[in-house]
Formats: sequence, C-alpha cells, structure tokens
Amino acid sequence: MEPKNVMIIGGGIAGMAAAWELAEAGLNVDLVEKSGFLGGHAIGYTCKATSECLQCGACSVEKMLKDVVGNDKINIHLSTEVENIKKNNDYSIKLKKTAAFIDVKKCTDCGICYDKLKDNDIILQGYSKNNAPLYAINREKIDENKITLKEICPEGAISVSDKTSYEDLTAGAIIVATGFDPFNPERKGTYGYEKFPNVISGLDLERIKRQNGFPARPSDGAAAQKIAFIQCVGSRDENLGNLWCSQICCPYALRTAESLKHKNPDLDITVFYMDIQNTGKSFPVFYETCKNDIRFIRSIPVDIFPAENDTLNMRLFDEAQGATAMETFDLVVLSIGIMPNSDNEKLSAQMGIPLDEDGFFKNSDELNKTSTSIDGIFVAGTAQGPKNIAASMAHAGQAASGVLNYLGVNK
Amino acid sequence: MNTNTKLQTDMEKIDLSKDIAVIGGGYTGLKAASRISESGYHVILVPQHNDADFNFSVLDVPSTEINRVKALENEVANNTNVEILPKSTLVEATGVPGDFTLKFLFADSVIEKKAGAVVVATDTAVNPLNTIYGLNPAENVVSLSEFENLLASQDTKKEIQTGQKTVAFLVGFAHEGSPLLMKRILNSVSETVGMDGCSAYVYVNNIKVADDGLERLYKQSRDNGAIYFKLEKSPTVMQENESLTVRFHDPVIRKDIELNPDMIVCEESMIADETNLSLAKILRIDQGPMGFLQNENVHRLPVNSNREGIFVIGSAREVQSLSQSWTDVDNMVLRVKQLIGDGEKSISAKAVVDREKCTICLTCYRCCPHEAISWDDKAIISQVACQGCGICASECPMDAIQLIDFTDAEMADRIQKAASAVTANTPKLVAFCCQNSAYEAGMTAKAFNYQLPAGLQLIKVPCAGKIDIHYILDALVEGADGVLVLACHHGNCKSESGNTYAKWRINDAYRKLEQIGIEKNRLEFATLASNMAVDFARIVIDMEKRISQKKD
Ligand SMILES: Cc1cc2nc3c(=O)[nH]c(=O)nc-3n(C[C@H](O)[C@H](O)[C@H](O)COP(=O)(O)OP(=O)(O)OC[C@H]3O[C@@H](n4cnc5c(N)ncnc54)[C@H](O)[C@@H]3O)c2cc1C
Ligand code: SF4
Ligand code: SF4
Ligand code: SF4
Ligand code: SF4
Repeated sequence: MEPKNVMIIGGGIAGMAAAWELAEAGLNVDLVEKSGFLGGHAIGYTCKATSECLQCGACSVEKMLKDVVGNDKINIHLSTEVENIKKNNDYSIKLKKTAAFIDVKKCTDCGICYDKLKDNDIILQGYSKNNAPLYAINREKIDENKITLKEICPEGAISVSDKTSYEDLTAGAIIVATGFDPFNPERKGTYGYEKFPNVISGLDLERIKRQNGFPARPSDGAAAQKIAFIQCVGSRDENLGNLWCSQICCPYALRTAESLKHKNPDLDITVFYMDIQNTGKSFPVFYETCKNDIRFIRSIPVDIFPAENDTLNMRLFDEAQGATAMETFDLVVLSIGIMPNSDNEKLSAQMGIPLDEDGFFKNSDELNKTSTSIDGIFVAGTAQGPKNIAASMAHAGQAASGVLNYLGVNK
Repeated sequence: MNTNTKLQTDMEKIDLSKDIAVIGGGYTGLKAASRISESGYHVILVPQHNDADFNFSVLDVPSTEINRVKALENEVANNTNVEILPKSTLVEATGVPGDFTLKFLFADSVIEKKAGAVVVATDTAVNPLNTIYGLNPAENVVSLSEFENLLASQDTKKEIQTGQKTVAFLVGFAHEGSPLLMKRILNSVSETVGMDGCSAYVYVNNIKVADDGLERLYKQSRDNGAIYFKLEKSPTVMQENESLTVRFHDPVIRKDIELNPDMIVCEESMIADETNLSLAKILRIDQGPMGFLQNENVHRLPVNSNREGIFVIGSAREVQSLSQSWTDVDNMVLRVKQLIGDGEKSISAKAVVDREKCTICLTCYRCCPHEAISWDDKAIISQVACQGCGICASECPMDAIQLIDFTDAEMADRIQKAASAVTANTPKLVAFCCQNSAYEAGMTAKAFNYQLPAGLQLIKVPCAGKIDIHYILDALVEGADGVLVLACHHGNCKSESGNTYAKWRINDAYRKLEQIGIEKNRLEFATLASNMAVDFARIVIDMEKRISQKKD
C-alpha cells in the first residue's frame, strides 16, 4: 500500500526537519508555509563563532534548508495557509494561497523585481541562496501594487490574481510546526524601542550583523563601542503574565557578545540579567570566559533615557558605592524572547487541539511533548514552547517518528 | 565533466545485521529496546551495573506516569524480540556499521554478539556536594536525593511537618547546575512551603529556569512563602553539632543576614556515568565535555557520534530528563531505520583504496575521523562508515586513496582550469572551499550579487581536509595570483579534524613558499560558516586588494 501523505504546517527549522525525516522514511510531505520563504526565524541568524564554533546552531538551519529544497518527496507550498481541515478517515484540507506570489518554476532569481521595488518594501529578499525563489512579495503591500507587480518580471514569474486560489489536499497525519512570535519590545514602553534609534532587539541585531558584519548603530551606521544587553525582555515577566523563560536569549546574548568581542577586543559589553541560563554541556567553561570578557550586572534596568548623540543612559547599582549611578551606552540590545504565535488560537480551533495556559500547544502525554489530544496530529518546535534550534530539530524528529508509528510505517 | 578522469565504482549490495545492541538498561535503554523492537529489529539489551539505582524524581517523571514507566520493565522482559544479557561490560568492538562484533565480559566468561548498530544509553550519576559547602552529612544536613526520599515517605514527611521545620536549600554555588536539578529543587521547595508551619529559604546563584514550567513553579513557590536569596557567592555555612548557621552579606542594605535553619538541603551534581570513558574508547567514538559522550559539534545532533552506526542517547550525552531522553530514543530509531532499513542496501563507495599502491602504513586508519578504515593485508574502507571527507586521501603517503567525486586527476583538472582562467587585468584568485561551509557562503554571495573579485574561481572540496598541499602549490604555479583555503570554524568541521589538517598543510605551504621565494600573502587561510556570505565577500575582496597593491 502506498504510504500516505503528511501535511506539515510551518516551514521553520522544526517543520523542515520533520519534513526531511519523513521524506527519508519514504513518505510524501506537503510543507505549508505562510511566508514567502522557508527557514522560519532562524534562517536569518548569523554565525556566532569566535576563534571556534560556539554551537549556536544557525548553520544547521542553512543545511536543512538545502536538504529540504533539494528533496523531491517534499512538496513546498509557499505563501500558503490552511483554510480548513476536516477529519474523515484521513484529513481533508483546503489550502489558501495568497493572491500574488512568485512562481518558483519561472523565477530565475535575477533580482530585477527586487532592485526596482525594494525601496517600497514590496519585494522581499530571502536569506540564503537555498531560498527558492530568492524573492517574495510582501503580502502586506500586495493590494496597493497589483499593477506594478504584474509588469515587473521579465520572466512572467509574478502571478497576480484578483481571486484567492485554493487547493485541496488529503493527509494521513499532520504536524503543526508554526513556531513562535518574537516578543514585541514596544510593549515595554520605558525602553523607548522605536523611539530611540539605538535601542534595538536581539532580532534586529541579527539582521544588522548579517547586513554589515558588525554591530552598526541604526542612527549613524557607526560601529558601536559600548553595548548593553538587557535580558528577559518580555520573558519571565509577571506584569505581562509571561511566566516562562524563553531559554534562548541568555545563550544568544552571550554567544553574540563573545563573537563581537572576538572581532573587536576593545568592545565594552555589559549584560544586565536576573539569572544566566546554560548554553550547553561545556557551559561552565564558556561562562568563565564570558565573565572575563563581559561585565555582568545582576539587575534589570527599568528605564532607558536618551542622551547626546543618540547614546543612551541607564541607571545602575554600584555595589562598591552602595548607590545608583548613570551610565552611557552607544547601543542597547533588548534580549527579546519567544512568545506564542498569534495564529495559535485559530489553528487550535481549526484542528481541535488545545493550547496550554501560556498559549503554546499543549502536549497530552507528559512524557512526549509532540503529543496532542488528537492521535494523528503532532506538534513540533517552538509551537509547543520555547526551544533552541537543536531542541526544535530533535522535537521535530520525535514528531516524525510519532507520525511513522501512527501510520504504521516501519523501516 | 571530463569523463576519462572520473573513477568508476559500482553499486554494491551489502547485508546489514538487524540486531541492534543497546548498552544501558535504565528507563532510556528500556524505552530504546521497546521502540527498536517495534520497528522490526531484534534487540540485545545490555544492562550496566548501576542501572536504575536512582529515584524517579532524578529523571523528572511526574508521579502520574511512574507506573507506566515501570511497566516498561515487564514489557521488555516479556518481549521476545529483546534478548537481555546479564549485567556485563563491553570489552571489545570490531567491525563496521551493519556488521559489528561486540564482546561482553560477564563474570569470567565472554559473550560475543553481532550487531548492525550500537546504542549507548548510560544514565547520569548523582553525587552529593555537601563537602564543597564544608558540611558533614547528618540528620539535619541532607542531600537533595535524601530530602526527596524523606518527602516521599509518609512517616518521614510527617516528621518534618510536625517539627515545623525551617529548611535552607543551597544550590548553584558548587557548580552551575541544570534546569533538571533546579526543577527538583523547586519541587522540594514547593512541597516544603506546602506543609503548614514549615518554611523554605533558598540560597541560590543562577536559577536555571530554562525548561517548560519552571518559571511558573518558581513564582508559585514564592507566592506560597518560599524566600529566595540570589547570591553570587556561597553564603557562609556553619555546622556545630546540631546547630546550623547560614550567613551572607547583603550589599543593598549593607548588613549581614543570618539564619539558623533546622535543616539544610544541599544540592548535588548530576554527572556523566563513569563507564562512558571506557565505552568511548572501546567503541572508538569521541568523548564530549564533562565525561559525556558526543563532541560538541552541531553536525552530531541529536544522537549521532562521529562514527556511523553508533548512537548516543539520553543522559549518555547530556544531563536530561526522561522525556528529553525519550525524544532522543525516537530520533535514534529514525537513524537506525535509515542505516539498517530492512537489512539490505545498495551502496557505492565514496573513497577507494588502490591495493597495488597501499603499503599498509595505516596512516589512513589513524587519521580517519569516522573510524571507517580497517585492513587485511591492505587498507580497507567501509562504504557504510565512510563520509567521503577525503582526509585519508590527502594524508596517504602513497597517494593510494581516491575519492570518487574528487579524484586527484579531476582536481588537477579543475585547478588547472581555475588558475588559468582568462580574466581582465584583475588578480586571479583560486578559493578552495569546503562544501559544507565556505562554498555555500560563496554561492550565496554570488546569488545576492555581492561585490566579488572578477578573477575569483571557487573550487568545491568535500572537506577542507581534502586540500592537498600540492593543490595549493599547483594553483600558484598554474597562474593564480592568490590562493584561499576556506574551511569550517574550529569545532564545526563535519569530519571533526578536516579544518585542522587544512591549517597544518597551510603552515607547511607557507614554509615551502618561503623556500621557493613566493610571497606568503598570496596564500590565505580563513574559516567561515555557510551563513557568512558577507564575510566571504569581505575576505576575497581584501585578498584581491592586497594582491593588486603588490602588483602596482
Ligand atoms: C532574537 C532571537 C535569537 C535567537 N537565536 C538563537 C540561536 O542563536 N540559536 C538557537 O538555537 N536558537 C535561537 N533562537 C531560537 C530559534 O529562533 C528557534 O529555536 C527556532 O526558530 C524555532 O524554530 P520553529 O520552526 O519552531 O519556529 P519558527 O522559526 O518561528 O518557524 C515557524 C514557521 O512557521 C511559519 N508559520 C507560522 N504560522 C503559520 C501558519 N499559520 N501557517 C503556515 N505557516 C506558518 C512561519 O512563517 C515560520 O516560517 C533565537 C530566537 C530569537 C527570538
Ligand atoms: S557558531 Fe553557529 S553558525 Fe557558526 S559554525 Fe558554529 S553552529 Fe554554525
Ligand atoms: S534565557 Fe535568559 S534572558 Fe531569556 S528568559 Fe531565560 S533567563 Fe531571561
Ligand atoms: S595511508 Fe595509504 S598506504 Fe597507508 S595504509 Fe592507508 S591506503 Fe595504505
Ligand atoms: S574519506 Fe574520510 S571518512 Fe572516508 S575513509 Fe577517508 S578519512 Fe575516513
């Protein structure tokens, strides 16, 4: 008997890893990704090596993307969402594709559309040469620009229609790998994110490093010399009701700090924290190195004040003086964390699988966090709760293993 | 492609043993046995001397699940597809993936078994840390495990409760700890403050809350009255007969704060099983940090070792809860299925030994990072184990090894073409790029139209360890103005040491260049990751600039 199709919702590292595992086991996979690119958040991250690899995992995402794109058992649906799901014996699914998209079969990755339209933010560029196509249409800008879009591509690869198009699918099992939303730092008003140009989020820093190769200050493009990281922004925050540790922000802040420091030993880096979380099994050794290179201050600043030349002031407690003092920084990085995806409620209702009290997908089996209340539906990656890249991949492997078991596919 | 430089190999059909050995009979080993047998394989389960020595709280098993976990013991014992050996020690492992021969020592006899793959599932060991705090074990000074046991029994729990005890917890000063250890502490703290009249004071360094539910547990225990003192250094702890004192200096209120608890609960360490070391040696797999198996190399995650067919799961590779370990189990099952399939597969070699040329010096055996080489009267490469890195091919003094996709003839051809490519008045640069990192970065730089030297040619290699010193010299001789060797970062080489070999050869090449009077700066070594397209462009442009300046 021909093994059944599996649908995976979300093409981040978790969805890609699950798809690859199932394809390796001989199954056909439909990978449904809402955005124009596979890879999720982590495909945009930079390498955090010093003189050696610090195991941030970012390059694993690049590798997985390459393997998935090259796999003919994986049918990739970009710019697509699930419209509805019905359970008969199998799942009958209706997919909804955005009104305008770039046809991967026709696009030659020439970049003409991007060059002409990037200033208006209409065309987005992917993160890796393995993003196919390398360009996508910004779904927020489609309506205003339908005419321009139609005409711009010499290959006729841009498809613009007035109607949404639908596609039907059947699947024997489903994996939900829709990931997370990064915390929006505007919610912490006293930090002046979006008000002060040099207050950025950890995610912004990734983007800036990727484009420039160094921590360029948004205000003037100059290399920042004195940087502060504020940890737990949005996570472990009773006032916001966010009673979880995002698990990834200590590791990325420390690794980023170390790798920046390696490139420029004169950098002055301060980390404001509550508790430092581990990076991996050699954490005790790594942490000692960090303590030599970085100043750690165990308190979370409440306010950021703008100062001259777009620098930023923060009040810190000076243990020696037993009093507070003001200090000035060039660049402040808010270490934002992992929040539940705002689509979770909709997806939860579509499939009838519950969320936990924090808004992530709830596992029904305490000893298997890929489980849901419905047998043929599994969850993988940060859709279930905060995880780093490596843990998301392992979780995805477990979900794939669960699907194989459920469908009775052995070997 | 030039067909006459291409080496031909045939697909070869090989048989793989469908017996899978699982070393370690704790609940991870049992789960592994159960899941592997479900997939139609026969399991040889080898319990270790210290299996299941510890309690369920160490594994973070919720009380509702304990019976289900325990049931595994019977399930596996009654599973006709699982053969359970007596507790025995692995003393020898030979062979190749799909066909390992394992010898176990039991009392005075040796048990020999064949296995297609080996799964290492040793558990963590738990050690008390009271001596680091200068404390002697006593009725009122207990380890975390002991305290958990006190709480688990109704009688002893009652004693604590009626005694209205004040309990001090010490955690995070003797070592950094882990979320798993923290969860155990938080559970014990919660239970303590849950008893009428009892109070809990927690002296803690970094609270490791990086796991599901821990921040909430932490908050709930505070809401229920637990007091946390977050300190960077251990408080001063004194034990005089029955009397206990914990003291520290509070920098904010500038005062000493002192407590006389009725009881101290001291953290413990969760460390690697002591048998890991000898297992690593016998199985010829890399050890990781802190006595755990598996090097910290992202290519190994989650369950691979440097050797095909040998998998490491659960606490054998890192302190893990049972649910995390079982995530490993499921991932391991995928890898076993991928390797063994239904016991037969067609495979073509990635590297071959020319038996005429081999003088059996065994250089290749010593340098192969994947332990793919054995020998009869000549070196033999296992097709299943070989990852095609080419380190052996470059190290072999007799040039007896060829990689199928990167033969010496093909490489010479590519180098010659790249180095003699016609370019306008700009320097000709040949960059040898590892296909796992720099080549990907370079191709992304191209796809993104980053500014690159007009005279740049990329030559893809399977691993930087395949870059012979004479590739470099040939490129320069054939007309390249500059040569770059671009490898993975240290610790990120898929073949563990390919980048190290490349670096050694570069140093050698520098010496040779000096001897023949070629300027050193025409050769450059750098490390990159696949996602470093911007850095790739910067490195090659810098090289071009340096060489242009020299030319002027
Ligand atoms: C600032 C920052 C830095 C980080 N740095 C690191 C690091 O250095 N190392 C590390 O290991 N981890 C890091 N992380 C964590 C890392 O981002 C996550 O572990 C990883 O991205 C999780 O992958 P995922 O697939 O679960 O989710 P995502 O990356 O969020 O991917 C989910 C995918 O699903 C798609 N999707 C969402 N909703 C739908 C829908 N309704 N229908 C269809 N598709 C949908 C999304 O478009 C996306 O492509 C960092 C996180 C942050 C916030
Ligand atoms: S630091 Fe991260 S991206 Fe860089 S090589 Fe290591 S794992 Fe890959
Ligand atoms: S990982 Fe660190 S910064 Fe992130 S929420 Fe946890 S403690 Fe805070
Ligand atoms: S290094 Fe070469 S000569 Fe020496 S044993 Fe290996 S194949 Fe034979
Ligand atoms: S090519 Fe690499 S993996 Fe294969 S035998 Fe040679 S050194 Fe070992």
